[in-house]
Amino acid sequence: MAENFGNKNKELELKRDPNYWQGFKEIHDDPKFSKAVNKNENGLSRRKFLALIGTSAALAGVGCSDYRDKGEIMPYNKMPEEISLGKPTFYASTCNLCPNFCGILIRTREGRPIKVDGNPDHPISKGKICARGQASILDLYDPDRLQNPLRKSKEGKFLKTTWESADTDLIKALNNAEKEIAVITHRINSPTTKKLLDEFINKYPNTKIYFYELFDNSIRNKAWKKSYGTDSYPFIKWNEAKVIVALEADFLGNDGNKIENARLFAEGRDVDNIKNFSRLYSVEANMSLTGTNSDYRLKVKPELQYDFVMCLLNELSRKANIKMPISVSYFSMKSFMKDNGLKEKYVEYLVNDLINNQGKAIVYAGRSLPEETHIAVNLLNDVLGNTKLYNTISSDFSTTELNTLDDFNKLVKEMNNGNVSVVIHFDSNPVYHFPENMGYKEALKKVETVVALTESENESSAVSDLVFAINHQFESWGDIKTRTGFYSLQQPVISPIFNTRQKEEVILQWTKGLESKFEGNLYHKYLMDNWRVNIYPTLNSKIDFKRFWYGALNEGVVLTNEKIKSFGKFKNTSLSGLTISPVKSNGYTVIVKESYALGDGRQANNGWLQELPNPLAQITWDNYASLSKTTAKNLGVKNNDKISVDTGSGKKVYPIFIQPGAANNTITIDSGYGRTTVGQVGEGTGFSINGLMSNKPLYTPWIYTNAKVDREKGTYVIAADQEHNLFEKSPAENIFGKRGILFEGTVNEYKKNSHFLKEDHDKRHHASPEIYPPQKELYQGVKWGMAIDLNKCIGCGDCIVACNAENNVPIVGKEQIEKGRRMHWLRIDKYYSGSYDEPVISTQPMLCQHCDDAPCENVCPVAATTHSEDGLNQMVYNRCVGTRYCANNCPYKVRRFNYFDFRDSFKDGYQTEQIFDLVYNPEVTVRSRGVMEKCTFCIQRIMEEKADAIRDDREIIGSNVNTACQDACSTSAIKFGDINAKDSEFVKYRNHELGYYVLEEVNTKPNVTYIAKLRNTHTEES
Amino acid sequence: MSLDYSEDMVQFTREPQLVELDDLIAKPVETNPSKKYFLALTFTASLLLIGIICTGITFYFGIGTWGNNQTIGWAFGITNFVFWVGIAHAGTLISAILFLLRQKWRNAISRFAEAMTIFAVMCAGLFPILHMGRPWLGGYLMPYPNSMNLWPNFISPLVWDVFAVSTYFIVSLLFWYLGLIPDFATLRDRSKDKIKKIVYSFFSLGWRHSNRHWRHYEKAYMIFAGLATPLVLSVHTVVSFDFAATIVPGWHSTIFPPYFVAGAVFSGFAMVVIALLVVRKVFDMENIITLNHLEKMNKIILLTGSMVGYAYLMEAFISWYSGVHTEQYSAINRAFGDYAWAYWTMVSCNAFIPQFFWFRKIRRSIPAMFIIVILVLVGMWFERFVIIVSSLSRDFLPSSWTYFTPSLIDLGILIGSFGLFFTLVLVFTRTLPVIAMSEIKGIVKGAQPTHNGGAN
Repeated sequence: MAENFGNKNKELELKRDPNYWQGFKEIHDDPKFSKAVNKNENGLSRRKFLALIGTSAALAGVGCSDYRDKGEIMPYNKMPEEISLGKPTFYASTCNLCPNFCGILIRTREGRPIKVDGNPDHPISKGKICARGQASILDLYDPDRLQNPLRKSKEGKFLKTTWESADTDLIKALNNAEKEIAVITHRINSPTTKKLLDEFINKYPNTKIYFYELFDNSIRNKAWKKSYGTDSYPFIKWNEAKVIVALEADFLGNDGNKIENARLFAEGRDVDNIKNFSRLYSVEANMSLTGTNSDYRLKVKPELQYDFVMCLLNELSRKANIKMPISVSYFSMKSFMKDNGLKEKYVEYLVNDLINNQGKAIVYAGRSLPEETHIAVNLLNDVLGNTKLYNTISSDFSTTELNTLDDFNKLVKEMNNGNVSVVIHFDSNPVYHFPENMGYKEALKKVETVVALTESENESSAVSDLVFAINHQFESWGDIKTRTGFYSLQQPVISPIFNTRQKEEVILQWTKGLESKFEGNLYHKYLMDNWRVNIYPTLNSKIDFKRFWYGALNEGVVLTNEKIKSFGKFKNTSLSGLTISPVKSNGYTVIVKESYALGDGRQANNGWLQELPNPLAQITWDNYASLSKTTAKNLGVKNNDKISVDTGSGKKVYPIFIQPGAANNTITIDSGYGRTTVGQVGEGTGFSINGLMSNKPLYTPWIYTNAKVDREKGTYVIAADQEHNLFEKSPAENIFGKRGILFEGTVNEYKKNSHFLKEDHDKRHHASPEIYPPQKELYQGVKWGMAIDLNKCIGCGDCIVACNAENNVPIVGKEQIEKGRRMHWLRIDKYYSGSYDEPVISTQPMLCQHCDDAPCENVCPVAATTHSEDGLNQMVYNRCVGTRYCANNCPYKVRRFNYFDFRDSFKDGYQTEQIFDLVYNPEVTVRSRGVMEKCTFCIQRIMEEKADAIRDDREIIGSNVNTACQDACSTSAIKFGDINAKDSEFVKYRNHELGYYVLEEVNTKPNVTYIAKLRNTHTEES
Repeated sequence: MSLDYSEDMVQFTREPQLVELDDLIAKPVETNPSKKYFLALTFTASLLLIGIICTGITFYFGIGTWGNNQTIGWAFGITNFVFWVGIAHAGTLISAILFLLRQKWRNAISRFAEAMTIFAVMCAGLFPILHMGRPWLGGYLMPYPNSMNLWPNFISPLVWDVFAVSTYFIVSLLFWYLGLIPDFATLRDRSKDKIKKIVYSFFSLGWRHSNRHWRHYEKAYMIFAGLATPLVLSVHTVVSFDFAATIVPGWHSTIFPPYFVAGAVFSGFAMVVIALLVVRKVFDMENIITLNHLEKMNKIILLTGSMVGYAYLMEAFISWYSGVHTEQYSAINRAFGDYAWAYWTMVSCNAFIPQFFWFRKIRRSIPAMFIIVILVLVGMWFERFVIIVSSLSRDFLPSSWTYFTPSLIDLGILIGSFGLFFTLVLVFTRTLPVIAMSEIKGIVKGAQPTHNGGAN
């Protein structure tokens, strides 16, 4: 160019061009140059090059940085009236997961349900709800849920289809059905759904509806009907009982009606009403939750329970001269005790207690026991005048009657004979639930059309031709009547997330037939109409329907004035069929029980429930065959070994767990596990029990005597939250008292001297000299504290799930539990003492104690865990570098370290699916990998109260804050409040004479007080 | 300062000439290494590579790849840290304390021991960063002024650790470098290679062996020795505070500082013996690093091993005497619980096996001492493991008791730390004089003015 420049100059000089030039561009108008400038001859202009460099640098920067698409943030175009941003809205509804139908209150944030609590207005559940109900929020956002209706292709694959096409196909099939249309469903307690099904039958007259539950009260109710004539066994006023005898009955756990039973039981175990402290005898084969809470426990095989009751009757007639309408003289308690190794003293206590507390004692038989045992128990209660403890105000109400096993056997036969055209699985899973030897699954092959209505794929939908994806319960309308005296209502709190419809809507659409077009609020209208026309008029309400309806939805329940039939006198005719001489039982007895966490297995894909430790053995993610030490020894197996069990329909293999306190030769296995068609969470967890159950059970559907049990090769690791070998070591050491972990007393001791624990404590505890001067200026305002009443805590673990939901605690998976990396902020410690065969169990919820002198705080090198002025031990996630020093120095071992990004590591990022984000509580940080976390005393709720107090210009009121665990506790064992509010209810517990701190010797000054457990034994020693 | 050099121990088995010494010591630096050297380097570098891979995995996935759990927050990571810090101590003890005590026999081994100090501290320094959940935030442990006015928690022993170890590293490095200056100058003078010459010139800081230089040098060396001496005691004392200042039964113990220092010297000497045994053989320095040297070191191993054994007894006694149940239980659990195997490995390797050194024959037998010092190292690693893991696995609440099983990554990182250490040692032997030339020359016959003109 320099050359050009020179040339141009020369040219200029020579030519003396008269045109004035205005810039270099004009004079040096080199065509090459301008071409390059304008046309990018070289392919890339300078500008473009710079732009590209800039862009790629920017892209690289953005792509490699931690930038995440935050998504669109849209303001509400029209602000919904009920929503104020940042504030939760609560909706009353009803939980549909089991036949208890508890009232719930769903907390929603900006239209998104995030937490489930009990509805305090519900007359039965009274603001409490079980673990399964709590966890159902996770089911709503389960990425494995069905998102569309499916149609099975010829190759057997399920392909997405439309509702219209699926509906059309089915309606055609229904119209063409010449033979039976079988609808199989769980118990239905909704009057409107019942009406709907009746209409369906009218439209398709071949229809037959079958109701079943995996576990039900049918035997107990049948016995009751024989004894007293009314339809169902009454509810028990546990709180008024002085003596409770539970025969193979886990009424605090899986015997049904858990929430109410637990509440009433705990009411009768109140240390502040020590005179009426009840005594619980548990007579059972394997350890149950009720057994762990009992004052006396006797081990009796279930098939001998009848003999035991008859022996009791015999003793009563002998000792108290009570006349029996039946001869019981063949049943000798003496030989029964000898045969079964019962402690004579305990039985003597039991008999005397029953005699001395006539009318104030209740004997309660478990629902798995056979009819004759129930009749004998009814008689026992009758002769002792214990009928006073039956609830006469409210009784069970059922819109439908459950079908018997024989009904289903008949159905299977008809199916095999080709007499069934259509089978509809109406939100039920009989393929998984029905006994394997019934042959139901095989029989389905003979049916032309099989369809399933289900939320997520299950064993029954896998063999269906059409699968209708239905709404979660939080997306559905409904009404429920479980008892006399009230209705409860169900309303959706979120519009269907996926392309699903409410199951009632689907049936309604089928009833309407082909020509009708589907409308979104079909069932809502139907429900309202049914109430307007059929239910509202019966209520004699003074307000108009619309107002009534909105009021009812707001409350969640509608109270009615109903009288129940009184049950009258005991019918001696029911005694006619009873066995009159004792039996012997030597073989193995298999008991199948409803799982505490998973129930009948419909929530098997729920990680919170899978990870909820079994309250007896702290085992997660699996079920197991539970047996006694002697039985294990006889079989030559140890923990994690496998056994095969044959109840008459073939060998089934289960891993074993040696349960202290199990009766010899009994094997207990929980339901709900071993699902084969299930989402990724439930996959490969545990073992199914339907191979054990029989379609023609010889004893009862849940108890199988004379089973064949053998040792199997191989092992299977079951993951426990608490170390197993803890049980294997001699429990006699009683390190719990020595270390100050557990203090227990007896009711008699407490009655005699209510300060016994404090006196004992003062003797034991030397006030350690303080190095630092007392810091009087600390904690002048509110100081948060918790009290846990161990007399009321039954150890169920419902609080754990509540805590998970509230605090965004991740699911870690079986593998990590095996490695001891549980993340639960709250755990229920179980300690066994006494002998291996007759253990005494102590339960202790353990969470961050928020110590005043917290050992975790002074070791953290970066001050990531500090103390607040209201007495909270805080965790600053942002500051935490993850040295785990704090966890090492925590004597309570309640700190939880994120060893992985568990959301990512569990099941290949199952918890990172987009929909999963919706379940998180927006008030609580989701913790990252490498960060320590722990219980915060639900600080987000404390902050809410703080904000309210500031807005209302008032002091903070301690009782306004409820922690999530406290809300969930069905026995109200957990109290929370302000330690400095001297005259509050909470302070009474904080300063209770039975209160103690765990590991007080360490002098950490915890802010969690434990109220010592009192055992209601006859002696003063515990 | 009247010193009698003649009544010291026999330094050389065959008295070398001054010129010979330079040649001998500079030989590994100046000649091309043998095949064996490269074989050894390949081996150690492979170990290092395993460590690097395992570290990468740890950084990528998280501490979950280790065997630690919610109850046992520390295991291999901190065990390795304490182990390597312990190894480091021998070097400083030899170079600083023995220097101040005028133990002239140290001259033959001090350079090597000091180098090992540096390398061991480097290995140790990795672990506190490695074991963090979020290592990229490790800087939070350093006090730096910031707008939040946020400082580290000065009452946390881990913060003291950071200061103690970094101070130790800096002082050791400077001390080592100071001693190297005259040798750098010697190498510079001997070197014919241009690049080498430039490098050695740079590091020799213009050393000309002048009298003035020597005067300054010796004063400076003395001062640094004085500075380093308290560090020998303080570093491991502070490390022991990591445990002693907590409330964990089995950690919370006042005997820890002296016990840890004794253990550190014990393991450090064992490591030096191992390395010297190899070096003197490989580089033909048996005449300079003699059996007498080794015997002296073995005596110290015997002494410190017995001190450690005493500490074991004392720990058990105090836990019983305290009357505190958790303490008693933790002592019993160590000896008879799940980790009894580790405990008895530790006791036999540390307290019993070194007792063989009471016999002169064994003290002077190379195969015997080789086996014994390796066992000592095993024992000392297990000592830290037992203290850390067995105490944590059975602390206050039985509900949280667990058992620790290391993962492959844990083992890989442990192996990798050995790989790093020995790779550094090997590189060191090829680049720097493994024996302090200037110092060793000071004790050769005729190096010091005597009345008889140097003749014996």
